[in-house]
Amino acid sequence: MIEFYHVYKQYVKNQFALADINLIIEKGEFAFLTGASGAGKSTLLKLMFKEELPSKGQILIDSENINLIPPKKIYKLRRNIGIVFQNFKLLENRTVFENVAIPLQIRGERKSHIDRRVEEALSLVDLTHRKHYIPSHISGGEQQRVAIARAIVGNPRMILADEPTGNLDTELSIEIFKIFERINAGGITVLIATHDDHLMNLFQKRIIKLDKGRLVHYVKRGDML
Amino acid sequence: MSLLKNTFNNAVTNIIRNKLINILSFGIIAFTLLIFGIFNYLTYSLDGFVGQFSRNVEAIFYLKDNVSQDELNLLINKIQENLLVEDVVFKSKSQAETGFARQFPELKYILTEFKEAPFPASIEVKFKTTNNINTKTLSLIEDIEKLNIIESKQVNLDWAKKILSIKQFISVLGYFLSFILIFVSCFIIFNVIKLNIFYRREEIIIFRLVGAQDWYIRFPFIIEGALLGFLGSLMAGILLFGVLKLFPRYATFMFDIVKGMIDFNDIPMGIFTQLVFLGTGIGLFSSYLSLKQFLKN
Repeated sequence: MIEFYHVYKQYVKNQFALADINLIIEKGEFAFLTGASGAGKSTLLKLMFKEELPSKGQILIDSENINLIPPKKIYKLRRNIGIVFQNFKLLENRTVFENVAIPLQIRGERKSHIDRRVEEALSLVDLTHRKHYIPSHISGGEQQRVAIARAIVGNPRMILADEPTGNLDTELSIEIFKIFERINAGGITVLIATHDDHLMNLFQKRIIKLDKGRLVHYVKRGDML
Repeated sequence: MSLLKNTFNNAVTNIIRNKLINILSFGIIAFTLLIFGIFNYLTYSLDGFVGQFSRNVEAIFYLKDNVSQDELNLLINKIQENLLVEDVVFKSKSQAETGFARQFPELKYILTEFKEAPFPASIEVKFKTTNNINTKTLSLIEDIEKLNIIESKQVNLDWAKKILSIKQFISVLGYFLSFILIFVSCFIIFNVIKLNIFYRREEIIIFRLVGAQDWYIRFPFIIEGALLGFLGSLMAGILLFGVLKLFPRYATFMFDIVKGMIDFNDIPMGIFTQLVFLGTGIGLFSSYLSLKQFLKN
């Protein structure tokens, strides 16, 4: 579960990137985070994996106040979160397989375990046949699927995706969102930042809307049901 | 275990990936350490050469006539206490006269011409053979000579002193040059690591986002620096060995001058060990500094 209590983020004096955010995302939930460019979507996500620190307020992830996690322990938090970016962030000097294996390699997992988990993740995103390719030799949609496979390979408790379909056409975007749905069906919390109304209408999930750093539309899960 | 293997592999991959810059820095480190090794070897050899002159060194201090027994005992005790001194023997005027008579019996008649014993009393100081002549021994001799009960001294160490000065000059010059070159090596490795951090910034970001521990990100750079230093020092060692073996063969005109002073067959392993430790140390230190400067948390 992700909980925000009176969270503020300020980069410049008298100008809030986020202001008084109060928000709860339940365990196993699928939600969209939306708003215009500059509304604070990416900042909100960055606060969750401690890429940024809040100026004020508390953020709890699975009841742990992440403000209190010391810099040396942030890795533990991040191992429970799969992150997907608009620009994929894949390494060009590694194959698809090697890119997906990174989260397991950095944990010192055994090779046999890595091989098995990577195959499973690639199969979930339907990319087993591309495992020996390097990222620049596959399509944008496939690259994003590699990034998703990398995000889920370490069995995270949640997936945070920042405009994951921003560089893709509608058809590919739907395909990517379907993959997120499949992941969510396995009990993993999914939060996707997007401003694609068409996709949000198509998938009918809870919408958290930001405008100029403030929460303007937020339906609690119970209210929605 | 696989984590360590991973980080080591990462370091080796980085070195291979940036071949040109790494070969360049490897060459400069090897050259730097070669200069250090040559000067170190020269110092070592000259030390041995000076040692040949200075083993079994004895100094004779002639005493003034009016020295009291107490002053004499005090002086002998003080000299004996010094760690550089093996033995101290006092020779009275009459003992000196007897000695002369025994050594030169045909000149014994001269002694009858004198009313008093003509030779001064003296103290013979024998220095420990384990101590080669060094600045400490020389300064001890000078200190004793300065005492007001000493008339003069007899010690022939001019040659040893000169060689010692040359050795000291070479040492200072060597350390000065080595210091500059080691600084250059540090600077180069520092910048190589900086460039590698820049090349790998995307990888570092991804590693952090997927939960890599700080050491996992930093360790390959440290290993990379250490490897550059280590391999550079190995190359320097091989070159040093080559230089010492080839020098007497191809530089015969100079070799004639120095062959008495430097034993080209005696190449101590200690110098190679020193080179390896120094090279690896330079690598570790520079990469650590570079990471501290350019890889913030």
